[in-house]
Amino acid sequence: MLLSLAIPLLACVTLTQNVVLTRVSLWGARPELLLLVVLMWSVVRGVDEGVLWAFLGGLMMELFSGGPLGAITLALVVASFLSGRVLRVDLGSPVAGVMLSTLLAVSSYHLVLLLVLAWTGYPVDWLDALFRVAWPSVLLNAVLAPFVYRLMRWLERRTRRERFTL
Amino acid sequence: MRESPSRSWLPLVLSVLSLLLIVSSEAGLLSPFEGVFHYLSDPLQRFFAGFVAGIGNMFSTVRNVRALQARVEELQRQVDALEAENIQLREIKAEVETLRAQLNFVDEFPILAYLGADVVDRAACTTYPCGEVIGFEPNPYLRYVTINVGARQGVKVGMPVVSGGPRLVGRVAEVFQRTARVQLITDRESAVAAFLQNARTTGLVVGQPDGSLLIQYIPQDQPISVGDIVLTSGLGGTLPKGLIIGQVAEVLQMDYASSQAAILRPALDFSRLEQVLVITAYEQMPPEGELPAGPSGGGQ
Repeated sequence: MLLSLAIPLLACVTLTQNVVLTRVSLWGARPELLLLVVLMWSVVRGVDEGVLWAFLGGLMMELFSGGPLGAITLALVVASFLSGRVLRVDLGSPVAGVMLSTLLAVSSYHLVLLLVLAWTGYPVDWLDALFRVAWPSVLLNAVLAPFVYRLMRWLERRTRRERFTL
Repeated sequence: MRESPSRSWLPLVLSVLSLLLIVSSEAGLLSPFEGVFHYLSDPLQRFFAGFVAGIGNMFSTVRNVRALQARVEELQRQVDALEAENIQLREIKAEVETLRAQLNFVDEFPILAYLGADVVDRAACTTYPCGEVIGFEPNPYLRYVTINVGARQGVKVGMPVVSGGPRLVGRVAEVFQRTARVQLITDRESAVAAFLQNARTTGLVVGQPDGSLLIQYIPQDQPISVGDIVLTSGLGGTLPKGLIIGQVAEVLQMDYASSQAAILRPALDFSRLEQVLVITAYEQMPPEGELPAGPSGGGQ
């Protein structure tokens, strides 16, 4: 997808995430719209575009973060790579496969974030963080993933370059 | 699902770039660039936040007329009760000022006379920079907010931030030209010297990963009870004394531990934070042991 379209789209998603969705809390978890968008784009379009979106979206998100610069970017890139390449699970049903791969990819996202925070000296209570923040987030975003997947699949079809063969 | 020809080096390169970003940022190499990026991106964030807030207000007003009416009636009852309590407190305040004058204490160690009801309304904004929250921290393990006042309004790193009266929000962690990043007291790295109003004892309030508050290092022999108000103690000089932090919700007492702790219910709902006030100047508590030697011999 052209960068001239991807960048404004990612900027809108980032702003929506930062201004609106960070106020939303469901059982201690919040929707990670940017994360879901890059994961699903990696699934529908391939790893290369997915990780590029993850890198660009992550950089935009870093502007609003008070944490180590690069932490969110690295976590998004790793999760996007795993989602698009390693964790694509075929369960017969696309929805179930998307949900399961999202479960694993979002888990890796939180793990990378925690590792970077611990590495840069931030006090991390692993048990608390995993059970009270990471796990609710993994479940919530796995439930939301199919909806974002449909949206990304629609977008992928609209932006796919058609090839004609005789 | 469409598979494009894969460039297997791309994920690795981007991961390495991200790691380099982290290392460079921790080394402080990226600070000048961060300022430029914020200068360019902050107006966009402010505009988007204002736009979203406007749409939200429109829908909530139409939907919640009845709820708002009930809320107004409830608030009116609270105002009536608070007015009565305020009258009593003014009496007590007058008595305290008389006693302090008798001890010749006021001139040598002035306190935060401006804190209190004066901070609640917009009049305080003529003295101290008032800001609005335009963004929240995207990292789920950190607790920061972005406000739309910055260096141009005189904001500096370390300044306390309050909301809804003298309720402590946090401290300014980073300042840009037109915005600032505030570390909330619910952040894991935040530590606030606190004071339990009823128990008359001190402790340390720290943030928890899920955004709650914990007060710890309370001596075992000090009785603390649910409902006790927790205020800033002013010790250390990093925060003014008397700002409201929260209320004890659950006491965690372990007989084998050298101190006790308690879970607090914060005085603010941080997810609904909208307007804040930055305290740009306050009088610090005197260091312990340096009480005044007045005519009466310093507090005898």
